[in-house]
Amino acid sequence: MRFPDLAMNAAQSLGAEYADIRVQKTTDQVIFLRNLSLKNTSTNVLNGYGVRFFKDGAWGFAHSNVFTDEAVLATVKRAAEIAVLSASVNKAKKLRLAPERGYIAKYETPVRIDPQSVPLKEKIELMLEVNRTMLSFEGIRQAVFYLVMHKDEKVFASTLGSRLELNTQWITPMLTATAVWEGDSQSRSFNEGGKAVGWEWILDLNLVEKAKQIAEEALIKVKADTLGPETRRSLILDPIHLGLTMHESVGHPTELDRVLGWEADYAGISFATPEKLKTYQYGSEIVNFMGDNTLEQGLATLGFDDDGVPGQKWYIVKDGILNEYGSTRDTALEIGLEASRGCNRATYYYDQPINRIPNLYLLPGKKELTPAELIADTEDGVYIQGQGSFSIDQHRLNFQFGGDFFWEIKNGKLFRPLKKVLYKSCNPEFWNSCDAICDEHWWRPFGVINCGKGQPSQSARMTHGAAPARFRNIRVGGSQ
Amino acid sequence: MNKNFELISDYIRKHCQADDYVLRVNSMDSHETRFAQNRVTQHIAGGNLSVDLTVSFGEKSGSCSVNQGDQESLDYLIRTAEDMARLNRPDPEFMPSVGAQELPQTQNMDAATRDLAPARMVEIVQQAIDKATAYGASVSGMTEKHYWETLLNTKNGFVGTDSATEFGHSMTLKKDNVETKVSYSAKDMQGFSLEGEFAQLASQAESLKTMKDFDPCQIAVILRPSALEELLWFMGWMMNRRQSDEGLTPFSGQIGQPFFGGNFSLKSTLARPELYAPAFDHEGVASRELTWVENGVLRNMPTNRYWAKLKGLEPMSAYNAYMPGSHASEEEMMQMVPRGLIINRFWYIRTVDAKTGELTGMTRDGVLYFEDGKVRNAVNNLRFNEIPHLATRRIVAMGESGLASLHSCMPTTLIDGFTFVDKTSF
Repeated sequence: MRFPDLAMNAAQSLGAEYADIRVQKTTDQVIFLRNLSLKNTSTNVLNGYGVRFFKDGAWGFAHSNVFTDEAVLATVKRAAEIAVLSASVNKAKKLRLAPERGYIAKYETPVRIDPQSVPLKEKIELMLEVNRTMLSFEGIRQAVFYLVMHKDEKVFASTLGSRLELNTQWITPMLTATAVWEGDSQSRSFNEGGKAVGWEWILDLNLVEKAKQIAEEALIKVKADTLGPETRRSLILDPIHLGLTMHESVGHPTELDRVLGWEADYAGISFATPEKLKTYQYGSEIVNFMGDNTLEQGLATLGFDDDGVPGQKWYIVKDGILNEYGSTRDTALEIGLEASRGCNRATYYYDQPINRIPNLYLLPGKKELTPAELIADTEDGVYIQGQGSFSIDQHRLNFQFGGDFFWEIKNGKLFRPLKKVLYKSCNPEFWNSCDAICDEHWWRPFGVINCGKGQPSQSARMTHGAAPARFRNIRVGGSQ
Repeated sequence: MNKNFELISDYIRKHCQADDYVLRVNSMDSHETRFAQNRVTQHIAGGNLSVDLTVSFGEKSGSCSVNQGDQESLDYLIRTAEDMARLNRPDPEFMPSVGAQELPQTQNMDAATRDLAPARMVEIVQQAIDKATAYGASVSGMTEKHYWETLLNTKNGFVGTDSATEFGHSMTLKKDNVETKVSYSAKDMQGFSLEGEFAQLASQAESLKTMKDFDPCQIAVILRPSALEELLWFMGWMMNRRQSDEGLTPFSGQIGQPFFGGNFSLKSTLARPELYAPAFDHEGVASRELTWVENGVLRNMPTNRYWAKLKGLEPMSAYNAYMPGSHASEEEMMQMVPRGLIINRFWYIRTVDAKTGELTGMTRDGVLYFEDGKVRNAVNNLRFNEIPHLATRRIVAMGESGLASLHSCMPTTLIDGFTFVDKTSF
């Protein structure tokens, strides 16, 4: 804590109304295997610190990778100078920070086997076996295995007296098989995103079996029919697919900085404006979204955010009604909230933290319902598994999604596999068309590891989750 | 060469035990002032270093990167990369590092931009806010400058250095229901005028005041350079020689064929001084004049060194994008088709189908409807599902090619029959 203490003392002597320092060492081990060729086997370390200085209603943020007393003091001074410059712009519109207290705490991701301690040889042998399994299927032209093991060792100190030690990690395995057949090529992936767990997850997954499954399904997909012209149908979406749908159409519109217009120049704003709170019918009555930065194995479960605010759990949509946002200390007071929900996160030490989606998930249905029962109850529809193309407007209203694997449903049965399926919908139509959600036994998480936002762009992580759900009367059709 | 880079390079040369290595060192110094709704919301300054080492023993490779250049960090770098390589499996596609090469002379760095004072950047932001306030609007955006230096060094004797600057300023203006954007991105500030940028922004805002509902359809579009750039980058990512030869892209088997429109060409060039052009790519292949598409004929696609060796080709990378234009003005283009839309920008473009090359995306920051040669009104934003290489076959006219961003020169382009499939409510 020598550097944090030095920095906070310096910040106070320079007149900070608030300041913090985040000393962060990020270590990524990345292995990328394509068709038995190791394209990348690397360990990447980023080690440094960022100092935020708040004065006269404005931020200054400076960062450095030099760990000496002189460099730390110079970085604090630079942050202070920048804050003064920031405050000189439009003095009538000052930022304010929601109240918070200091914490002395430690948080560590619970893992049984540290992924970075597993011998490289063991990892590569597994990856080669998975790759060989995919390539053993005739017609599979490309087999990819992408493995990332990520670790953050963070010390956070603030002028509120916080001294936090936060050691977190996550892992993600992604497999893709691409089949080529009669002039077409189609891919199928195993991708549950990232999880804040250890290597034990990889051992439990049985990736060789997953490789067989996706290779077989890639071959089914490339030979499958297309759906034809767009008509209104029912959709059943699996949890992995819903992870992306909710990320784009619920997670981003309920980030308070977007609501306030702070992302107007780049990532976009939000239709879910404050006058809609507690009244806007975001979804049907069975739709409940939780913000939950205490979620077990969640990628945004970090103990505290980069404002030094502890992880919390709250309703973002309750019984279909827009309830609250994900907020930060510098956005909360703008709409009269009493405190931040702890959603301020930075990616690397040199990033100034910004308002991020928390772990956000759709609560399962309260009545017992299996996916098989849901399909049996659907006359005409499409069942979509996994993630494909995705695009949404900058107010987060209109969207189009693809998927990874598709089945047409006829008279309560999986009728035929499909490829190149797209659906189009918008807020609030989509979530209001949700008429059934399977029960808690079928709830599964999806961890986003690459949520791009901000200028300069940062890539954040958070976990979503859902049980399979049905949406009625959605425009579904084939691509060109 | 940067003294620190020289020390790092010497240390690696002396201490790395591997049969071969590639050392990449980058330093970056940045200042970014972000503003939104007429106030500064973020303000960031700092530098960073990246030291990236890939080593190999025989055909077994390993890599490590660190962001510090002290002896302890470099020892960790060498030890980790070497350990990974020793533990690794031989790569059937292994390529030894490149040797010494003759590199082109490039000029990507502007000292005045490198030395731009933070106070001057904040002054620009204040002036933008003052202008927006006087216009009765709010403005959001970012003023930024970057200075970076690069070294690539291999055991086989390649040494390349490069340095570059970038100045950027973007503004999104919101007044009532009108949102529109301008952005400037270049090696230097020489072409930057806040007066000019804001005048363009206000002009766009004025043209968007009268909004009418418009249903999706196939219609002619005039794509301004930023819109075209976004579309072509996504198409460009699919233009990979190996992936195409393996049957995974729309360009499989199309080399030498008139696969694009006859008036469409696309290049990477060292000859446009306003474009960023590095002297070498990440493998150490020297940049040179490259023609990807020539009058509609697909000539080349980016090819890595392994695939080039296997297939008897020259390795090549797309280091910038230059689409030659012509001389048509927007007014003249509007006379060439009965009706159409003028698109400022696209947003959230994604691949729908990698094999057909179909993309989707939305319009953003202003769509104008024209008919009988005149702009009639603004319209709501629309979603397109379109295949860009097929769209080039419907190019009717082009303006002069100009800087769309640091990395591309594009002309305003009239394309007939562009496919819109959905609309949004604003």
